[in-house]
Amino acid sequence: MIETSELLQTVIASVVAGVGATVAFAIAIWGAARFVDLSRSERSVAAGAAAAVGILALAVTLAGVAFGVLAIV
Amino acid sequence: MSADVILVIVVGTALAFDFTNGFHDTANVVATSISTRAASPQVAVAFAALLNFVGAFISISVAATVANDVVDAAVITPTVVFAGLIGAIAWNLITWSFGLPSSSSHALIGGVVGSAVAASGLDAVLVDGVVGKVLVPAVIAPLLAFTVAGIAIGLSYRIVGGQRPGTVTRGFRYGQIVSGGLLALAHGTNDAQKTMGIITLALIANGTLGAGADPPFWVIVSSAAAIALGTYSGGWRIIKTTGTRIIKMDSAQGFSAQGAGAAVILTSTHFGFPLSTTHVINGGVMGAGAAKRISAVRWGVAGNIMMAWLLTLPAAAAIGAAAYGASRIFGTGALGPALVTLAALSLVVVAFARRSQRGAPVPAGVEGGS
Repeated sequence: MIETSELLQTVIASVVAGVGATVAFAIAIWGAARFVDLSRSERSVAAGAAAAVGILALAVTLAGVAFGVLAIV
Repeated sequence: MSADVILVIVVGTALAFDFTNGFHDTANVVATSISTRAASPQVAVAFAALLNFVGAFISISVAATVANDVVDAAVITPTVVFAGLIGAIAWNLITWSFGLPSSSSHALIGGVVGSAVAASGLDAVLVDGVVGKVLVPAVIAPLLAFTVAGIAIGLSYRIVGGQRPGTVTRGFRYGQIVSGGLLALAHGTNDAQKTMGIITLALIANGTLGAGADPPFWVIVSSAAAIALGTYSGGWRIIKTTGTRIIKMDSAQGFSAQGAGAAVILTSTHFGFPLSTTHVINGGVMGAGAAKRISAVRWGVAGNIMMAWLLTLPAAAAIGAAAYGASRIFGTGALGPALVTLAALSLVVVAFARRSQRGAPVPAGVEGGS
């Protein structure tokens, strides 16, 4: 009667997508903020690393969103 | 001829229901983006309407559930579907008039179940489908959105906590363009499909389509257009009230609430669960608010939602059953549905007059978040 398997998949997918996308985007913002601060203090290597982390996190966020939408089509 | 007239009335009523659904839910979809200033009201409403329209095309799983898993299509007539729609619309108007946050989706399912029981007895209801695909997800989905938004915002605050507030706020505002768009897309795909499912059920009941058929393309297009137009129309009313009645939260909370709501609705849509998008979005907003400050949440709203959960299905079912009975007083022709439609239109006028005297409802789950 109760679609246990489908409900469980809904719960897991929602947690992974909802929490994952928000955390990944927060990391992207952290990377951008650190890049600005470190660039101002002329620590270019650290600033580059922060920017790389931010860009990677942003890519993960966008890829996750695209995958999520395509998965339901 | 008479059956065709009833079918036209049913399709028109279903599209009117879809329009009111979009009109009614605009606040839920755009309020978060507007309150955090991620988008201007005009842009947020137009964007939501466009993505509502697009969302209606990306899945038909929910439409299939409504058409095939709620009531037995073999014993349903177009008049039963019509009476169910009247039950849903009437309950929506009653709750709207009293400011109770009810679910259009639950009202629709309840109305159709009630009219089907009145017409053919309890055997017409597919209990497994109603419990497994409607009732249980109805309870789980808002709690899930609450939890997901709460965890997401808690982790996000830890990650960006030591950074410049201006950069963080700007970043999440940009993010809300995507999360708000996803939420509108999710709303369009789940809610428009309910109307598609109801029209498809009526077409099956009329013999126009075979049992288990998917919605025809014209049904998908017209349902998408109706909900998008409703969203756009409802938006102008929201714009007038922005700044005084809308919820307040920071952009990180807005992002996590919208992300949680979109994730839950899109995932549920994939499995064909016809959710209350209103309850899910409110669940996400409350979760994001509670994670920052428990007292920020309007727990009274949560209580009203709980009451609406308990009342909507039986109340809409009772009105649907009464509407079926009233239609049948005038025989099996089109006269009954036509007269009931006139009575329903009168109720609409009364509800609008009552609401215009008392002011617009508050689309809120959280206050004072920032």
